Amino acid sequence: MIKLNNITKVYRTKTIETTALNEIDLHVPKGEFLSIMGPSGCGKSTLLNIMGLLDEPSGGTIQVDGQTISKYTSKATAQFRNKKLGFIFQSFHLIPDLNVIDNVELPLLYRKISKKDRREMASKALESVGLANRKQHFPNQLSGGQKQRVAIARAIVGNPTIILADEPTGNLDSVMGDEVIEILTKLNKENNTTIVMVTHDERMAMKTDRLIRLYDGSQIA
Amino acid sequence: MISHILKLIWNKKKRNALMVLEIFLAFLVLFCVIAYVIFNLNKTNAPLGFETLDRWSIELDNLDSSDTLALQATIENLESNLLAQEEIEAVSFANFVSPFKNNNWTNGNDDNGFDFFARMVPTDYELANTMGLKLIEGRWFTEDDFNASYEPIVMNKYFMDEYYPNKSMIDSTFIIDGTKKIIGVVEAYKYRGEFSEVSPTIFFLDHKWENHATVLLKMKEGTPTSFEEKLSQIVNTTTKKTGNIIVNLEKERIDQSRESWMLFIALLSVCGFLCINVALGLFGVLWYTINKRKAEIGLRQALGAHSSDISKHFIMEIMILTLLSLLLGVIFAIQVPLLELTEYPKEIFYKAIVYSIAIILTLVFMCALFPSFQAAKITPANSLHED
Repeated sequence: MIKLNNITKVYRTKTIETTALNEIDLHVPKGEFLSIMGPSGCGKSTLLNIMGLLDEPSGGTIQVDGQTISKYTSKATAQFRNKKLGFIFQSFHLIPDLNVIDNVELPLLYRKISKKDRREMASKALESVGLANRKQHFPNQLSGGQKQRVAIARAIVGNPTIILADEPTGNLDSVMGDEVIEILTKLNKENNTTIVMVTHDERMAMKTDRLIRLYDGSQIA
Repeated sequence: MISHILKLIWNKKKRNALMVLEIFLAFLVLFCVIAYVIFNLNKTNAPLGFETLDRWSIELDNLDSSDTLALQATIENLESNLLAQEEIEAVSFANFVSPFKNNNWTNGNDDNGFDFFARMVPTDYELANTMGLKLIEGRWFTEDDFNASYEPIVMNKYFMDEYYPNKSMIDSTFIIDGTKKIIGVVEAYKYRGEFSEVSPTIFFLDHKWENHATVLLKMKEGTPTSFEEKLSQIVNTTTKKTGNIIVNLEKERIDQSRESWMLFIALLSVCGFLCINVALGLFGVLWYTINKRKAEIGLRQALGAHSSDISKHFIMEIMILTLLSLLLGVIFAIQVPLLELTEYPKEIFYKAIVYSIAIILTLVFMCALFPSFQAAKITPANSLHED
């Protein structure tokens, strides 16, 4: 499904060169729920950003479904993100000036879908995370757990094949964190969605199919 | 996408209110200035109606009018002394209603089947020749007209277009201070200058000694300014007065025109500064907004927006906001012609609305371009991480 070959990421300034990722080889098969752990600054989020085509590697190749992504134009990359990937962030990244259903609809705005269909798809996604009754609420009227569920609804509204979650439980208490993991696990099992999750929480990581660890930009397990 | 942007604008209405107010006020100021400038520039399209090149005027020192015969003799002497100079081709006497004077004499009535109000110009039979008035119908006054059964009058074209459109009224009678006969129509006589308004005007014949405030002269082509000294001597000697003033009408026209242009330039400069201020304000607000919305930009990119979608989004957002402000401004501005709040022609206000909209939309678009392109360059990985 996702194949990273010899991925490196180096940040260069005039005086310092920092290696964020060092020759990472990783294969995530379709339908796997993979978690990535490691101390702060070890390159977890960088790796996730590269897998999500939000950042470009300094070296190596990324293949998704056998296609090499580096050959994509910026337009094709944007379309790929829109149709194949769903993102969940630690700080939710909901637009405060849009209500819940409009936030969930957001990825569909960049597809040719009628307003009516967008509404239907967003309503369905909200139902699947148990927030059908919060459609007209604004983000500041929701709890942290509810915000993250809205973010999950936004990530799944376009039926992506891969969900990339960057510490989705990082800002939540354990009960809400469990709820979020439960929803992600359900998505993984029922829809066969591939999920890659970066986490600091060992307990959450243990609930996934496979765990890899990074240290100083290298994969150690 | 438009409904999405409208929703965003509506949900941020409090934050957008100041920007809407700024654009709205800028539109109103621009609208007023443009309407004023168009109105005045339109006046210059109408011909002046008389020549100024090689035309001089003499503002006579106050002549003693207690002895009519003596006054008549002085005026006749002055005329013949002036005509005796080879530099002078024609002489006409006028009162204070004469070229580039700001005086006005109006009269009107409803005795002719319509209400009218016209500028009255007393004149002698030499004015048309001296000032090069262009007759478009009929004839100018002659000396014989003093003995005509009906006092003759000459109208300007504007008068005829206004009250007798597509109709010849030559030799028809017209009631104004008694029954008069229309004998001719001149193209125009904007004696107050190029930027004065065209008004219905009626010329009536008067003896030259009745109007002795100003003497108008048609000079020989290329008469040097040095002749003024000799002329001054002739006038002073003949009138036995020393306060006579000689004016070169071409110079007077240029000076007056320059004054009017200076006013427009000053107004347009104020407007230009206002536009620059609005532009800088908008630029700053957009720049700030985009910096504040970096995370949103990153998010939209992560969700599938291409960089062109991002710049398009921000340009559309500000343009829609501008259109809403302009709509509000147009609702106010359109009342001026609809309710006929001023005497300006309605078309001027419609033109001013269109020009003001075009200027503000262009200005806003230019201001939105750079920040929007900068927004498109934001990389999602960094902006999402920054939040």
